[in-house]
Amino acid sequence: MSTAADREKQLALVSRLKATYPEIPEWPTPTMMTSEHYWAYLKTNHDQGAQLSVAEPFLEKQEEQWELMTYVLCEALGWSGIWVSEERRRIGNVDVGLPIYLGLPYYARWLWAVGKALLEKNYITWAELTDRLTEVQERYADGLSGRRPEAQPKFEGDGSGVARNRNHIEAAGKGDPAMYSGQAGPPKFAVGDRVTVRQLPAMFYTRTPEYVRGARGVIAEVSYESPAPEDETWGREDVKPEWFYIVRFKQSELWDSYAGHRDDALQTEIPERWLHGTG
Amino acid sequence: MPDHDPDHDHHERTVKPMVDEITDFEVLEIALRELCIEKGLFTAEQHRIMTEYAEQIGPTPAARLVARAWLDPEFRGLALRDPMAASKEVGVDWLDPTGFGTPSDFAAFKILEDTPTVHHVIVCALCSCYPRPILGNSPEWYRTPNYRRRIVRWPRPVLAEFGLELPEDVEVRVQDSNQKHRFMVMPLRPAGTEGWTEEQLAEIITRDSLIGVALPRPGVTTNVTTRTSPARRPVAE
Repeated sequence: MSTAADREKQLALVSRLKATYPEIPEWPTPTMMTSEHYWAYLKTNHDQGAQLSVAEPFLEKQEEQWELMTYVLCEALGWSGIWVSEERRRIGNVDVGLPIYLGLPYYARWLWAVGKALLEKNYITWAELTDRLTEVQERYADGLSGRRPEAQPKFEGDGSGVARNRNHIEAAGKGDPAMYSGQAGPPKFAVGDRVTVRQLPAMFYTRTPEYVRGARGVIAEVSYESPAPEDETWGREDVKPEWFYIVRFKQSELWDSYAGHRDDALQTEIPERWLHGTG
Repeated sequence: MPDHDPDHDHHERTVKPMVDEITDFEVLEIALRELCIEKGLFTAEQHRIMTEYAEQIGPTPAARLVARAWLDPEFRGLALRDPMAASKEVGVDWLDPTGFGTPSDFAAFKILEDTPTVHHVIVCALCSCYPRPILGNSPEWYRTPNYRRRIVRWPRPVLAEFGLELPEDVEVRVQDSNQKHRFMVMPLRPAGTEGWTEEQLAEIITRDSLIGVALPRPGVTTNVTTRTSPARRPVAE
């Protein structure tokens, strides 16, 4: 149980978290919202590139055992066809919302993604998760006394009836994206072609960074064929692969205020749907 | 975890590595792993194999690859033309351990060759895409919004913070690794290493020089940043 004072203290903590633009109140009416602010709220919050930020020291960090185990858990789920990694990236990096994105440790969001995906895909129920969390908590109620916490599955389940994706079977022996080779038809662009990145109204998920949208660049490499992350992130397997390109941009054309050398460049990889030719 | 012990402030518990209690993160990881195995989503054997794989990855093969490329022009050609074949020569099979690679890092690897007039540096501004199979886990700073926000737009000032100031006539080329390709930099062989063996060269090819925030230098075998925040229960060595 908690005391009345505990409850007030925790609610006071939660209330201090701010996640809105200071110029717009919480819970605005529709007329308070400009289109710029609307799209700024809708921006996929993993897209951090080129946002303003102060310099901070660059630090190393020891990895926690649970962080390594979280990585392993996520990869085991990919290996066995429960998800593809693009589903994890959306759930853990975008769907979390900005406070959790910036507020939790990096691998805590990987872990969040596992729980959320297993629930959303109906592999576990909320009660199964909650009961197990309580059980593990109680198992170590007296502290660890120097031990490492261990997983203790009660039995190994029969996985033969479990719903799985095709990716983990079709990728075998080839790898992803080589598994999609030959499926996209001829590439629309060649090395050296000038292209412009389209300014699509990208809601919910994309990996084409906002900082290159609308910018002109040059095809530096025709990369590979693959379904776009905008489809893979929802677990879609019925979409046609498309060509990806490494596109080179001049920094002096990307930024109004670029102060480095005039030949400095930036490259990023972009699927064909985001590009159109620039004569 | 709420609903357990009213006398404790549970939210301080996750930040203060003082008491020997299980953390909320550990509870969640263990609960999810147990449920996955009981539901048959993956096998305990798959989990064990993936753990063994994850425990052995590190930057050593990447340094060997570059050292060999510096010494052997034919191997250098292979590294640039078919980097996954070159990786195999230093013991890294990009299809391990699943037969189709690690699900998060795919199997599309590219080595960016520095020249006297072009210097590369890698980032993933969207998450932390990194060539784990050949370079190990990314350093914490590589994952931070600080690095990811700034390196794409202010590369020279950020490189200077790592102590790397490049001449005006060298083009800085930032590679944002935001899709399925994983990238690594092949830095230039520095002067003062004439006659060195592959082992000697590999020692100065630091992880940071393969990310592109440092240059290999004779006598320097450590990464730029050595300040390390400790873990409560670190990965077993």
